[in-house]
Amino acid sequence: MIPKGLEKQFNILDFSLSSLWRRKLKNLGIMLVFALVIFLLGSFQMLTGALTNSAEAVLKNTPEITIQKMSAGRQEAIPLAYVEKLHSIYGIRAIIPRVWGYYFDESNLANYTVLALDSDLLPNGSELNLTLVFGHFPKRTESGTAVIGRSIQDILELQERRVFSLFRPDLTLKSFNVVGLFSRQTDLLTNDLIVMNLDDARDLFAMPTSMVTDLCAYVANPAEIETIAKKIAVMLPDTRVLTKTQIQKTYQVVFSWRSGFASICLLTALIAFAILAWDKASGLSLEEKREIGILKILGWETGDIMAVRFWESTLVSSLAFILGCTAAYIHVAFFDATLLKPVMVGWSVIHPPFKLLPAITLGDLMLIFTLSVLPYLAATVIPAWRCSTVPPDSVIR
Amino acid sequence: MRPSQILLFLLLLLTLIDGTLFLHSRRLDKNLKSERALQAITVAGLGLTDLCIATEARYTRHPAVSDSMAPFMDHPGAIEHFPTGSFWNVPEHKSKR
Repeated sequence: MIPKGLEKQFNILDFSLSSLWRRKLKNLGIMLVFALVIFLLGSFQMLTGALTNSAEAVLKNTPEITIQKMSAGRQEAIPLAYVEKLHSIYGIRAIIPRVWGYYFDESNLANYTVLALDSDLLPNGSELNLTLVFGHFPKRTESGTAVIGRSIQDILELQERRVFSLFRPDLTLKSFNVVGLFSRQTDLLTNDLIVMNLDDARDLFAMPTSMVTDLCAYVANPAEIETIAKKIAVMLPDTRVLTKTQIQKTYQVVFSWRSGFASICLLTALIAFAILAWDKASGLSLEEKREIGILKILGWETGDIMAVRFWESTLVSSLAFILGCTAAYIHVAFFDATLLKPVMVGWSVIHPPFKLLPAITLGDLMLIFTLSVLPYLAATVIPAWRCSTVPPDSVIR
Repeated sequence: MRPSQILLFLLLLLTLIDGTLFLHSRRLDKNLKSERALQAITVAGLGLTDLCIATEARYTRHPAVSDSMAPFMDHPGAIEHFPTGSFWNVPEHKSKR
């Protein structure tokens, strides 16, 4: 036996659904546009959240201190002589010189990242071969060898071939033998990477043997990272010193809601929808006003009429919210966020696959709900209340 | 059949779809966790600092360690050239130096 109050609400719900169905074209149109706006907002939030979460989980073992030489506001090569100076700071466990940079492949219009270092000196350096589908990392004495990311293999159309060549700055060719290929599981980090030994990288970039791109410092006591970083900054005033914490914080910021154009576009879409919803919902048509008048003559109270409008708005907005969020998850999880990916990668020729877990938190859902559903409810219920307080005979006439 | 019963069926269907997606997310999370072990080795072994997402510009390929002024460095008054620069925020520590 259903309680009387609940039975009344069921009847009002039935009436609201019939009323929605009578104007199905208008209501379905609003619901689809509404769901599309929520889909865009949700997809953006799920994608950026997933990238932030991945960065947080993956970049736990970044170098503790990175030292770069600055000149005229730009980063430039750092002399290896700085290593000797740094050894005088007590607490530094190891200093690893790195040569890295970008190689622009003019025939494919793609940018590759070239990295060279003595990986045996780094933590987990001995386990690096586990990250390869086949082969091994170039040894210090193994000249002309490289490990490549999967996109490099694809874009250079290597297939079974193991040799490729890159141009030095003087346009002479330097050949490399592929001795290893990064596995699919590390695509998020290594997709555009070419790893070689230090001598080969210096030869490729025509860099003097006394110089490297930057230095990575590892300290004995992790609690002293900040203190040692400050000491380095004082000792080498022409350098930029980045700590592990700063590097890890980077990805908490780069994809925030404030990240430029994306949020402007999404908020513009939301405002455009709010205007559409206000226009469609607040301006009650003559037919709707007459319906309210007739209901009042038949004995309906103002509260009942408002309940009908409330149910109608709740159904349209809640269904749009559920559909939009569901579609956003499917878009990010199953389709690699195809619609937003061009925004994230710009003109990049190498497109690393986004195999990500969409980030959904209760806070994000509440934010989207508050920005979309609540304004719509207000935009529809208030005009209905204003109309239902008008004497019915003046509305019908 | 009352319209509210049709709505109930629709809501049940949506709950079923979302429940399946929830189970999918648990499974995907489990798979990604096993991948992260390999990624952690890569980061530690090669001293990596950034994710490989956008490869078009150095300040979006390596936002953590590249010059923050790079978008405007090509010549005085140069405006942003690459699309990703408009969508990626500048890391906080870059504004300090």
